[in-house]
Amino acid sequence: MSVGVADNRLKVAVVGCGGIANEHLPYLASSPLAHLVGVCDTSRATAMFAQTRFGADGFFLDAQEMLQSTQPDVVHVLTPPQSHGALVSMSLKAGAHVICEKPMTASVSETAELLALAKTCGKWLIESRNLLFNDNVIKINGLVEDGTLGEIREVDLLLSLDLNAGPFGDLNLEGPGVQLPGGAVQDFLPHLAYLFLHFAGAATSAGRVCGILENLSGNGRVGFDHLDALVLSDNCRGRLRISSDLKPDMFRLIVRGSKGIAESDFYNPYLRVQLSEDSGKWAPFEQVRAGYRLARSGFGNLRDKVLQHGTYHGMPRMLDAIYKALASGGSSPIAASDIEATAALVDALVALRSTR
Amino acid sequence: MRVLVTGASGFLGKAVVRAAAAAGHRVVALVRPTADVSNLGWPDNVEVIKGDLRQMGAWRDHLDVDLVIHLAAAPSGDIATQFAGTVQATENLLDSLPLRSLRRFIHISSFSVYDYSIRPKHGIIDEATALESQPQARDAYTITKMLQESLVIDRCDDTGLECVIIRPGAIYGPGKDWDCGTALSFKSFDLLFGPLGAFRLTYVDNCADAIVRAIDADVGKARVFNIVDDECPSLWKYHNACRRAGARAGFVIPVPWLLIAALGRMVRLVNRLAFRNRAKLPELLEYRRQQARWRPLRYSNALARNVLGWTPSVKLAEGVARTVVKKADSAG
Repeated sequence: MSVGVADNRLKVAVVGCGGIANEHLPYLASSPLAHLVGVCDTSRATAMFAQTRFGADGFFLDAQEMLQSTQPDVVHVLTPPQSHGALVSMSLKAGAHVICEKPMTASVSETAELLALAKTCGKWLIESRNLLFNDNVIKINGLVEDGTLGEIREVDLLLSLDLNAGPFGDLNLEGPGVQLPGGAVQDFLPHLAYLFLHFAGAATSAGRVCGILENLSGNGRVGFDHLDALVLSDNCRGRLRISSDLKPDMFRLIVRGSKGIAESDFYNPYLRVQLSEDSGKWAPFEQVRAGYRLARSGFGNLRDKVLQHGTYHGMPRMLDAIYKALASGGSSPIAASDIEATAALVDALVALRSTR
Repeated sequence: MRVLVTGASGFLGKAVVRAAAAAGHRVVALVRPTADVSNLGWPDNVEVIKGDLRQMGAWRDHLDVDLVIHLAAAPSGDIATQFAGTVQATENLLDSLPLRSLRRFIHISSFSVYDYSIRPKHGIIDEATALESQPQARDAYTITKMLQESLVIDRCDDTGLECVIIRPGAIYGPGKDWDCGTALSFKSFDLLFGPLGAFRLTYVDNCADAIVRAIDADVGKARVFNIVDDECPSLWKYHNACRRAGARAGFVIPVPWLLIAALGRMVRLVNRLAFRNRAKLPELLEYRRQQARWRPLRYSNALARNVLGWTPSVKLAEGVARTVVKKADSAG
């Protein structure tokens, strides 16, 4: 790569080189828009490994030192949620745009403060919402935008995943699995909240929320492991559910409109579209067609697993959209108002917590 | 000597604690908080400490020891899980230990760190064999075990601490039989890949004995010791031994190494041409991983025998018999 091109790349630094960094760093290592100037982690071995594996210029154990030393244009904050606030604030004040993993904060008030700080600093602050960039979400977007599904009336997001089995519920470790008021559930809630708001078209209002957030397993580390909520927002309603006691794992998205229904899954993707004309005598034909498409999805998923096109495949697409917008001086593909609305809905859902 | 054993409730760790205590050492056994240590048969003078090396915790208050035997690792899971349980855990341990006052650090590594793509001299894998040059082309276990070993060596060198690296082969014993050497099973048929190649086995108690001998052996300039038993049977012979001992082994379908290798090479070529090496395939189809597991090679334990004075006392037939009986008991 020529020096001229290299000079045009955005200098990028990453704070936190654990699990989710493995989804950000491959893009940063290969993008012609980004130059990875530093990686930082409190673990020296982790930081060194990330530097070697992804070709960063340097590694650091202290975020402040990295910011001063590398003066990045963009900082990715990929640490545990409780440390996001301080790192985002530090990065913005150092003159960098920030891309932060979800959940960015523990409450909407903290999110609003950070967004206000970003505005004051004249920088972008973006909370990751990679699932919006997954293949089938983009296809369903198309069906919504061209009116195929009609007016969207219901959006259901049903996640079945044993939160106790992962690090959140690991009883070998001390302290809470995640330091959030909504426990492990809250770590996943932004996904459900931004997807609901996106398809419900309710960018600024969470509407009414009812339901329950509880701990069914009795595992103290996990905090909360079960959410079942109904959300009513303007003309759209939805069910948001996170269950730890159901098998198999699934993450289903169902968008129902006045003219049709679209359904997909993030873990084993398929797309089923049922339209109003597929009812009555035509219903069996729709089922045969859906069966054929399901079989094709099965083969596609097999190919995707081999080619490592997994649940996070929207991440590089999201990052590319952000970096292209930054490089061209365009507007952010993820608006601050959407980030705040998501945090408000998450707050409302966390408020459902029981003391059982 | 006061000896800290990490990973003490693991398959090998349990045997190491027993052997070290039997050799007269005062053992501090670090086990995970959820481990059940009530039925391990350890002597009463074994001091059990509960803690997880992935976190700095109260286990750090029990590090007034003379020597460390470090077995703790995460052998399964994705790269993040194995990195945390193997590399970060080791980093936390090294950061917490009084390295300059220790007499020796015995690190339990693995045969997975060797490069099986290059044919070693005389076809024998020994301590001088080159290390894997492309761990990312193998698996998370190889990546993390290599990083872990390198971390230990660097820190010991930095502090002048004597370091002994033990690289055990495939450890078997009650609770772990490697599916009698089977690569794949279909109903009553067992596919044996490279059935005539040597299986680098070591019985769990033999391996524990070698590790305990490394506590006070005069190792001179030697640092690394490969641990395999004297008798490395072919996969087919091991399968037969398991069957004779009463294991429910199926009818053998031998698949020659050349056939496996041809398949692996073909898949590698397709992956390179069609998918630009992006495809992640099962071990059965990845040539480099096939080589690590089934390439016909021989293994030497000469250095461990000569320097550590180790002799594997449990022979194959006895080891297999103990393993199969235990499995039958568990099934019953």
